[in-house]
Amino acid sequence: MDWSVVWEYKNLFITGVWVTFILTLVGISVGLVIGLTTGLMRLSGIGWLQIPAKVYVDIFRGTPLLLQIFFVHFAVIPTIWEDVMKLEVPDFIFSGFVALSLNAGAYIAEIFRGGIKSIDKGQMEAARSLGMSYAQAMRHIILPQAFKRMLPPLGNEFIALLKDSSLVAPIAVHDLTYAANITAKNTWERWTPYITAGVLYFMLTYLLSRVVFWLERRYSTEGEDR
Amino acid sequence: MTERIRIEGLVKNFGSTKVLKGIDLTVREREVVSLIGPSGSGKSTLLRCMNLLESVTEGKVVVGGKDLTAPDTNLDQVRTEMGMVFQQFNLFPHMRVIENITLAPIRVRKWDRERAEQKAMNLLRKVGLEEKARVYPEKLSGGQMQRVAIARALAMDPKVMLFDEPTSALDPEMIKEVLGVMKHLAREGMTMVIVTHEMGFAREVCDRVLFMDDGRIIEEGKPSELFDQPREDRTRAFLSKVL
Repeated sequence: MDWSVVWEYKNLFITGVWVTFILTLVGISVGLVIGLTTGLMRLSGIGWLQIPAKVYVDIFRGTPLLLQIFFVHFAVIPTIWEDVMKLEVPDFIFSGFVALSLNAGAYIAEIFRGGIKSIDKGQMEAARSLGMSYAQAMRHIILPQAFKRMLPPLGNEFIALLKDSSLVAPIAVHDLTYAANITAKNTWERWTPYITAGVLYFMLTYLLSRVVFWLERRYSTEGEDR
Repeated sequence: MTERIRIEGLVKNFGSTKVLKGIDLTVREREVVSLIGPSGSGKSTLLRCMNLLESVTEGKVVVGGKDLTAPDTNLDQVRTEMGMVFQQFNLFPHMRVIENITLAPIRVRKWDRERAEQKAMNLLRKVGLEEKARVYPEKLSGGQMQRVAIARALAMDPKVMLFDEPTSALDPEMIKEVLGVMKHLAREGMTMVIVTHEMGFAREVCDRVLFMDDGRIIEEGKPSELFDQPREDRTRAFLSKVL
């Protein structure tokens, strides 16, 4: 095993960690916004809001992420940018952002929906009986409680997203998996590039799981006073 | 006395089930009214229709001169003047006792925190729970939770208080402390509508008792009349079971 090749290609790995981190961060952030919106649409009880939300969730949960990445990168983005807006196609990583966010949004929508539904309806009634609007009740009463219950499944989703971000490597986004692949191909070294990428992925997911754990503790009312 | 709540021809269906079959009822200012009747008679539904927590199928609900069933009525506004107390308390578990009470005054009435907290502390003193201000609801007994829930509703200075079986989820030794708070409120002249199984309380505190069965008001009157000389067979049958 030759570890010097990793050192030789270290810049590729540093970029890879950074790109993987950014892809995950964008996926989580945009996914949360899409997920909350879609989850609320599905719970609205209004047909023309519910149906598109359900179709979106079903499509993105029912097809492979790699296919979604190809679909976004080779079909959707070029069509919109070149044919409709008459602009240059944005960087590869943009396709990664879009595909990962849409995919995460579908899963997060289901987590939000389940979390909100699990809150006793007496909570909403108590809030409304005090004169709070639906939006105020959601924001101050339902979502904070639902969020606490959603943290474990959200943590799972975030970690899955971080790992699944490796699927953007085939469209030549310079993430961690791409770095390992390029290093291995260029140097004929079989083991060390992949071990390096694996260790770095593990460190990233471990870090993320600690953040989620910290949030869980913070949102717990047990063990007062904080 | 002026009227506070007026209900006209109220019908409520859940799907094909008729729960309320035409209710007419007026509650006047400072009046304390209790709704009694067997479970499934529609008394809780009727109470929940008074602040439109339950939508109305047919008929009118007029509170303080505003028709709540009219499409342009601001329900949030009307509800700020109607406190509600639930069987399951429905305290907000993620907030301390004091935050439970100050939330609506701050968010809805736009009071500053200091003023809201001062008011909350006064109310906690009134329900005898001043020392619990900083704890979370899970640390309270059922009776304490319900007294906090009453304080929370009172923080909005409501003109009416609606009680939905406030003592039904409580252990016997805690019922008294909650009824004590309610009795105190009644003496202060609060307008109250109470769904209850506590016949002793209804007899002692209420100005008027309504007996409901099968979605209708069967009989109403002063507690002494209704409990001691019921006119209707169904009232008699019910009372013989619960008294």
